[in-house]
Amino acid sequence: MPVANTKGRLPRLCQKELKETIRDRRTIVTLLLMPLLVYPIMSMALNRFLLSSGETEEGFTICVSSDVDGELLDQWLSNPNSAPPQAVADSSGNKLAKFRVTVIPDESPAEAVARNDVDVGMELANIDSGTPLVTFYAARGNSVSQAARRVLVERLQWLKLADAELRLKATEPGYRTPLLVSAKDVGKVEENSLLSTIVPLVLVLMTITGAVYPAIDLTAGERERGTMEAVMASPVPRGYVLFSKYVAVVAVALLTAIANLLAMFTTLWAGGLLGLLTGGDSFPWLTILQMLGLLILFSGFFSAVLLSLTSFAKSFKEAQAYLIPVMLLSLTPAMLSLMPGITLSGALTILPLINIVLLARDMLSGSVDLNNAFVAVVSTFAYAAAALSVAARLFGSDAVTRTSEKSIGSLLRRPRQATLRPTPQAAALMLALLVPVYFLVSNGLMQFIKASQDTSVATILLFNAIALISTFGLVPVLAAWLGRNRFKTTFRLQPSGTLALVGATLLGLGAWAFAHEAFVIADALGIGGLSDKQISGAEATVAKMRETSPVLLIAVFALTPAIIEELCFRGYLFSSIRRAVSPFQTILITAALFGLFHVLTGSALLIERFVPSTLMGLIIGWVAYRTGSVFPGIVIHFVHNGLLNTVLYYQDQLSFLGAGFDDQTHLPALWLAIATGLVITGASLVWVSSRKQTDANSETSLDTEHNVGDLGN
Amino acid sequence: MLTVQSLQKSFSLDDDEIRAVDDLSFRVDPGEVYGLLGPNGAGKTTTLRMVLGLVKPDSGYAEVSGYRTAVDPTAVKSRLGFVSASDGVYPWLTVREMLLYFADLYGVTRREASDRCEDLADLMGISALLDRRAGTLSTGQRQRVTLVRGLIHDPPVMLLDEPTRGLDVVGVQTIFEYIEHLREVGKAVVVCTHRLDEAERLCDRFGLLHQGRMQQTGTLHQLREQSGHQHLVDMFVDLLRS
Repeated sequence: MPVANTKGRLPRLCQKELKETIRDRRTIVTLLLMPLLVYPIMSMALNRFLLSSGETEEGFTICVSSDVDGELLDQWLSNPNSAPPQAVADSSGNKLAKFRVTVIPDESPAEAVARNDVDVGMELANIDSGTPLVTFYAARGNSVSQAARRVLVERLQWLKLADAELRLKATEPGYRTPLLVSAKDVGKVEENSLLSTIVPLVLVLMTITGAVYPAIDLTAGERERGTMEAVMASPVPRGYVLFSKYVAVVAVALLTAIANLLAMFTTLWAGGLLGLLTGGDSFPWLTILQMLGLLILFSGFFSAVLLSLTSFAKSFKEAQAYLIPVMLLSLTPAMLSLMPGITLSGALTILPLINIVLLARDMLSGSVDLNNAFVAVVSTFAYAAAALSVAARLFGSDAVTRTSEKSIGSLLRRPRQATLRPTPQAAALMLALLVPVYFLVSNGLMQFIKASQDTSVATILLFNAIALISTFGLVPVLAAWLGRNRFKTTFRLQPSGTLALVGATLLGLGAWAFAHEAFVIADALGIGGLSDKQISGAEATVAKMRETSPVLLIAVFALTPAIIEELCFRGYLFSSIRRAVSPFQTILITAALFGLFHVLTGSALLIERFVPSTLMGLIIGWVAYRTGSVFPGIVIHFVHNGLLNTVLYYQDQLSFLGAGFDDQTHLPALWLAIATGLVITGASLVWVSSRKQTDANSETSLDTEHNVGDLGN
Repeated sequence: MLTVQSLQKSFSLDDDEIRAVDDLSFRVDPGEVYGLLGPNGAGKTTTLRMVLGLVKPDSGYAEVSGYRTAVDPTAVKSRLGFVSASDGVYPWLTVREMLLYFADLYGVTRREASDRCEDLADLMGISALLDRRAGTLSTGQRQRVTLVRGLIHDPPVMLLDEPTRGLDVVGVQTIFEYIEHLREVGKAVVVCTHRLDEAERLCDRFGLLHQGRMQQTGTLHQLREQSGHQHLVDMFVDLLRS
């Protein structure tokens, strides 16, 4: 009989996974060969780019027709009067361009420029007339050639000007220069910030590349090789196996990061580009160590994300199919870090990947803000932990050992049998569709309004309502129809009882105060918040809204969203997500989705809406769970939005109540006390009204009765 | 030793609900080789997976040495050995490293695992392969490694899923000898196969499975009396036609 001996088991399991990965030649290729090849090539390309983007050491070359022309040009350029005045020199880097004049036999200056033999060509005509005509040729589309010509033209202008001034002074002794100009620089050197962003970005991407192969190989690969079932049949806790794989993936990612870091900095140093990056000549050991720390953190996070995806896949091919879109998606925020003016602050400190890239950039330039760095590090830790727990749940789970597989066609075919609720997979697909549909519809309608030039408030409001109904309304209804899900249970249309509705009304009356406070707190913490420009914009919108009838406003901003959004979030999504997770998790997930969708307004991201909307989502989610119905949620949503709009509409008339309604001021204590009272009473009523119903309404009990075959789905 | 009681499992495939295992019960004692027979898709593998705790049954239970899979999966798993035709190896580990890894998964002490590794390798004739990289092994050698792997923790119950699939005459003979060894050392053995001719030579008792249901069960002698046929193949043809 086996004696369970688990002493030192975890390190041994990690050792096995590491051995398996490191011995694989393909790992070594991405680990060592890639950085050794990539960086020298990149450095050469960068050098080439730096060389071709400006003047070379030897200066620009000018082709002239004859030696006589050349001598004349030399004469002009060596005349001190052709040099730009001090202010102009100061404002363009204080470097005087050098020129090399040459004559190419059998080739006119224009031809020489066209053949790219020289930078500029010059031709002289009418020399004897006393006013010679100088023509400069530059190559179209060649920035170096164009720059060289501009300098030449300017030089001759200065020469003309100096000559004119000289003559003027000779004839009119009282002549004074009308004004004096001076140019001065302030602030820090912000040159090459592009390079200091590219370096961390490339490092992060290379770290990802290093982690991808082992992540797939140790999870989906194990399944494909046929060793997974034997491992799962053993009594070892799944978490142990996953964790040992995680350690191996992080280790490889780290080794890749170190190899890349060393290769990159060595190449930059050898290529003489290191000074451009760090501003100093010495090798930046400390910065490299700091960046290594960041990469450790980042590979911990990304390895967990990779494992949670590959754990779900049945084969190498499937794992790759999951990973490629994720990698491309993660590139989007990473690209954002290349944009000028983007700094590590506010919401960006918690945005994965971009926060690490920005922090690394700041480290390179030696201007790290400790608070922001702290937030970036802590949030990345949190994401890593979350991703790892997801991976642990998915790894080797029942759903993956299944053999049946659905075809693509089955997604679009209506099932023969009706079901009570949509599957979580169907809900995920619906959500994925909702984003582009909403983007297209809302932006399309805006284009239509612009084109029709009918910008009356009523039209805009109407289009707003249409956009909402045709996306959040229509898409879930279509999804439910396509999935043959019974509408009553899918959208949770069971009646809830009068007491619950009364409670919901009170909750709606009180909740807006808390949503407002959340907004103010979020603003104070720097999560989103409105700029002064946005506030004045909002005030202008409100003033415009007053032109229309309050009934229309309530219909568009309170009634429509209350019905449509509730049916979508607390109806369709709630009932489908509830099939997979506990009520508490369902409330959390639907609230977060509710918050996220309020951030997406179609054309811009309104991050400041996330906190208050999620908070509302939590409250309504709880009520929806307690009552087992969508209706109390509709009431809360309607009362909340209605109240908000009424207050905004009659803001001036209400100012005697003693509250400013801008989003940066806390409400008076009395108001908060009343709101708290309303919320507590409302919540109590909902609680009491649903005390007996909750169990009867439990959606899992219904599911097991009617959807026996869920596990195989 | 191994008891399966009223196991039931359904899957839904696209729109259809498939009852993979339907009210299945049987029992296997130490030193006995039980053949769970049936055509492809009869529910044999699903049954084994439920016994192992890899798939959750809709109802019913499996019990090993008094432990139920649903109640104490760890106790059950550590008492089960599992070998399947689709089992693979870790190509970059040596045979010894792989065997010791599995011993570790089952909580066998290092020393004990090393001893068992040598003994079993000797028994299955793979002693010379122990320090070879598993990726370089032939199909037959790989099969022997898998068979040793299933026994590394000395389990009282062995589950073999289509052990002869894809093997040549020599490979099949190896399996026969292996099962003979298991019987000798008093293991309770379940063999799932659709190769009825082989099963006739191997097993002490049989369960004929069709569309998830147990159709007939007993020794070869009993089955012959019940069906009036001499061979399992003929009994099955009858079963499929009815």
